[in-house]
Amino acid sequence: MEQFAPVKRSKDGQPVRYLIVDDSVFARKNLARMIETFGGQVAAEAGDGLTAISEFDRTHPDIVLMDITMPQMEGIEAAERIVQQHPEARVVMVSSVGYQENIVAALQRGARHFVQKPVKPEVLYEVIKYVLGEDGAVAGAAGAGV
Amino acid sequence: MTNSPDERGAELRELFFETSQELLQTLNDDALRLEKKPGDEEIVRGIRRTAHTLKGDSAACGLRELSELAHKFEDALSLEGAAAQTAVSEIAFEAADVFAEMITAYRTGGKLPATKALSKKIQDLTAAPAVKKTRRGTKADGTSSARSSAKSADWTEYEKLAMAKAQAEGLAVYHVVAKIDPHCAMPIAGRQLIQNALAGLGQVLALRPDAKSPAAAKQVEFVLATGQAPEQIAAKGRIPTIAEEVTVELMLEPNPAPKGAGESGNAASDGSNTSDGASAAETLTAPASSPSATPATHVAQENLLRVEAGRIDSVLNLVGELIIGKSMLQQALNEFGKRYPKDLLRGKFTDAMAFQARVLNDLQRSVMKIRMVPVDQLFRRFPRMVRDVARQCGRDVELVVSGHDTDLDKGILDAIAEPLTHLVRNAVSHGIEPPEERRTAGKATQGIVKLNAYHQGNQVVVEVSDDGRGIDAKKIRAKAIELGLTTPEEAARLSDTETLDFIFRPGFSTAEQVTEVSGRGVGMDVVQSVLHRLKATVSVETRLGQGTTFRLKLPLTLAIIKALLFWVEQRLYAIPLNAVLEISRTFEGEVHQVDNYEVLQLRNQVLPLLRLGRPAVDGDGKAKLFVLVILVGERKYGLIVDALEGEEELVIKALDDQTFSTDLVSGASILGDGRVVLILNLPAVVEHVAKSRPEQAGQTSAGLLMTHTDRMRLALTMSNMTTTTGGEA
Repeated sequence: MEQFAPVKRSKDGQPVRYLIVDDSVFARKNLARMIETFGGQVAAEAGDGLTAISEFDRTHPDIVLMDITMPQMEGIEAAERIVQQHPEARVVMVSSVGYQENIVAALQRGARHFVQKPVKPEVLYEVIKYVLGEDGAVAGAAGAGV
Repeated sequence: MTNSPDERGAELRELFFETSQELLQTLNDDALRLEKKPGDEEIVRGIRRTAHTLKGDSAACGLRELSELAHKFEDALSLEGAAAQTAVSEIAFEAADVFAEMITAYRTGGKLPATKALSKKIQDLTAAPAVKKTRRGTKADGTSSARSSAKSADWTEYEKLAMAKAQAEGLAVYHVVAKIDPHCAMPIAGRQLIQNALAGLGQVLALRPDAKSPAAAKQVEFVLATGQAPEQIAAKGRIPTIAEEVTVELMLEPNPAPKGAGESGNAASDGSNTSDGASAAETLTAPASSPSATPATHVAQENLLRVEAGRIDSVLNLVGELIIGKSMLQQALNEFGKRYPKDLLRGKFTDAMAFQARVLNDLQRSVMKIRMVPVDQLFRRFPRMVRDVARQCGRDVELVVSGHDTDLDKGILDAIAEPLTHLVRNAVSHGIEPPEERRTAGKATQGIVKLNAYHQGNQVVVEVSDDGRGIDAKKIRAKAIELGLTTPEEAARLSDTETLDFIFRPGFSTAEQVTEVSGRGVGMDVVQSVLHRLKATVSVETRLGQGTTFRLKLPLTLAIIKALLFWVEQRLYAIPLNAVLEISRTFEGEVHQVDNYEVLQLRNQVLPLLRLGRPAVDGDGKAKLFVLVILVGERKYGLIVDALEGEEELVIKALDDQTFSTDLVSGASILGDGRVVLILNLPAVVEHVAKSRPEQAGQTSAGLLMTHTDRMRLALTMSNMTTTTGGEA
C-alpha cells in the first residue's frame, strides 16, 4: 500500500475534516479508511442527501465526499443545496463512470471535483490536494499545493 | 497504514459480505413491492440504486463478475421505459438470488454460479421495443446542448463578437487547449471541471468540441477572456488525474481600455474580473431544475456501531461471572451475619451489597439489550419466501406481519430462523388450501398467513398462523396408532391437544411424509428439538377448517435465567422460574396411579406427575412431598421434589455433548458457594416420562435423570469449571 504524506489544514495544521455521504455503509467505511491514511479525520457520515445537509451544517467539514445515487435526496441536489448555503464548501462527487452526466451537472452546480468509483486512494489523494489548494499543506513537502 | 494490502483487502471483503446482505434484502423487498405495483418508477429507481451500490461495492473489493452483472442490471434499468416492463420484478428476484449465490461463492471460495440465464433476461429487458435507448436522469443534457453546437473549430460570429468585446474591455483573450488524461474514465466530467477552474479566472467565451462528440474525450479547447497571466491559466487548468497538459496561446491582446488606460494588465483588477467571469459562467450553466422541496422527515440513523457478536458475548460472560461473584459475597455476608449478628459493619455490608446488586442488574440488562435485535431482521425474509412457496404449490397467500419491532436475543433469533422457516413454509404449502378448495369451503380464495411477535412476561412469543384447513386430530390419532406410537385405547383418552403433540415426534414426521394425514409433519421434530435446546416451547392450536396457529415461546435471553432451586435425592436441581405456576405440598398417599401413570388431584384438576427420583419405599403414605406445578407447552404437570432451596439468578454454563449423554439437563450453573446445580430441560423431561412405557411404571422413572457415569463425568467437568471460574475472578 502506498504511503501518503499527511495533508493538513494550512491555517492551523489540524487534520482535514471530511463529511462522507454515501448510502452504502461499505463505501463510507472504505472512504473513511482512505482518509485516515491521508491524515484526515471523518467529521461525520451521512447515508442520504438530507442528512448530508444537516450534517454539513452541524460539522462544517473541509471537504464533502458525495455519492450521487442515494435515497431521500440525491447527491447532486444535496451538493447544490450545500453550496448555495455555503459557497466555500468543497464538495467532491464520488460516483461511477455511468453517471458522468450527473457529475457534469453536479460540477455545474458548484461541486469542486469528482472521483470515480471504485475509488483509488492515490487518485483521491491527488483530488483532495487539488481541492484544498492553498488551504491544504502536505506535511514534510514544501509547496506541493497547486 | 500498518496493514498489508492483503489484510486490508480481506477486511474490506468481510465488510462487503456483511453489508451486501442488507442490499440483497432491500432488493428482495423492492422486487416484492414492484410485483404488487408493476411499473412503479419510484420502486424501480430504488432497485437501480441498490444494483448501483452493489456494483460499486463489489468493484472496490475486486469482485469483478458480480460487479459486472450488477452493472448490466443497473444499466438496463436506467433505460427509458424499462420500469414499465412487468418482467422487472421477476428479474430482480432472480438477480437477488444470483447475487446471493455469487457472494456465497466468493465468501467460501466456491465455484461461481452460472449467470448466463440472468444476463440473457437482463439483455431482453433492454431489447424490448418499449425501451428507448436514452439514459434517464440526465438533467445536464438540457444545459450542455443549449451551448453552441457548431462542429468546426471556427468560432461563431457570436463568439467572435464576445471576444472583441472582452478585448475592448481590456482583457486578454487566450486559446486554452487541455489534453485530457487518457486514463480519465470520465472525460466529460473532467472537461466540466477544467471549465469550472478556468471560469474562476475569467470568462469562458467559447468551448470546443461539443460534449457529445467523440473528440471531447481527448481534449478540450476554450476561449478565455481574462486579466491573468498565461502561466496562471495553465496552472489552473492542470488538474491532477484529469488534464496534465495544458497549452495557453494568446489570441487577442487586450486593447487599451476606453474607460481607463491604467487598468489594463493590472493584476489588482483580477478580483472583479474573476467574479464577473464566475457570474457569467453561472448564467451560462444555470441549473435546469429547481430543487424540489422534500420535507425533512428522515431521521438520521448514522450513530450506529457494528460490533462483532463475539465481543458482546464476552462482556455478557463477564457479567455472568460477576453475578456468581455477587452470590459469593452474599453467601459470605450471610455467614458473617450469623457469626456477628450485632456488628454494625453488617449494615454497611448490606448497603454496599444492595447497591452493587442494583448496578449489576442494570449492567446485565444493558448488555443484554445490546444483544437484542428486532425480530424484523428475521421476519423480513419471509415475504419473499412466502411468495415463492405459494407460487410453487399454486396457492394464493398474503403474508401479514406484525410485531416486527419486538426485540429478541440475537442468538435466539438466529437459532429459530430455521424452525420458523419450516413453520411458515408448512403454513403456506399445507395449511392454506388451494384456491378452488377454499372457494368451495366458502372462504376467500386468498389465504392469509400471519407472523406475529410480542412480549409476554419474561418471554417472547412468536406466532405463525394460517386460516387454512386446520389439523384433523382424528387423522393424527389414526396415524399415531398405525405407527405404534400409542394404542387405540390410550389414543381414545387423549385430548386433542395431547394428540397434536404427536406431530412433533420424529417417527411421525419422517414416515410417509406429509400424506394427507394433516399435511403437517415435515421436520416438525427438528423444530421441536431446536426449541428444546433454547429452553423454548412450541404449542399448536388448531380448528378444523379454520386454521392453525403455532406458538413459540422463547426465553428473552439464553445466558442468564431466574430459576427455582430444589432438591431431589440429595441433589440440587433448578428449573426456569417462569415455567413454575405454583408450588404445592402433599403426601405420598395423595398420589394416585391411573393407568400406571402417577397423578395428583390438585383442587379440581388432575395433574400428571413427573417424578425425578424413586418413590419413598416405606409406603405408609405419610412422606411429605413438594409438587411444583409447571407449564410445559400448553400443559400442566406436577414435578415431585424432596425439598426447596430457593430462587436464584443462574448463569448458565453450557455442557458439551461429549461429557454428557442426556438431554434431560440443558445446562449447569455454579452457585456463590461453589456448589453446582443442574438445570433441567423441562420439555425433554416431560417427553421422557411420556415415552417411558406404562408397564415400567412400577419403578417409574427410576434413575430418570442420570446414569451413574453421567454423574461422575459431570462432577469432573464441573470441578474443572469451578477452578476456571476461581482463576478468572
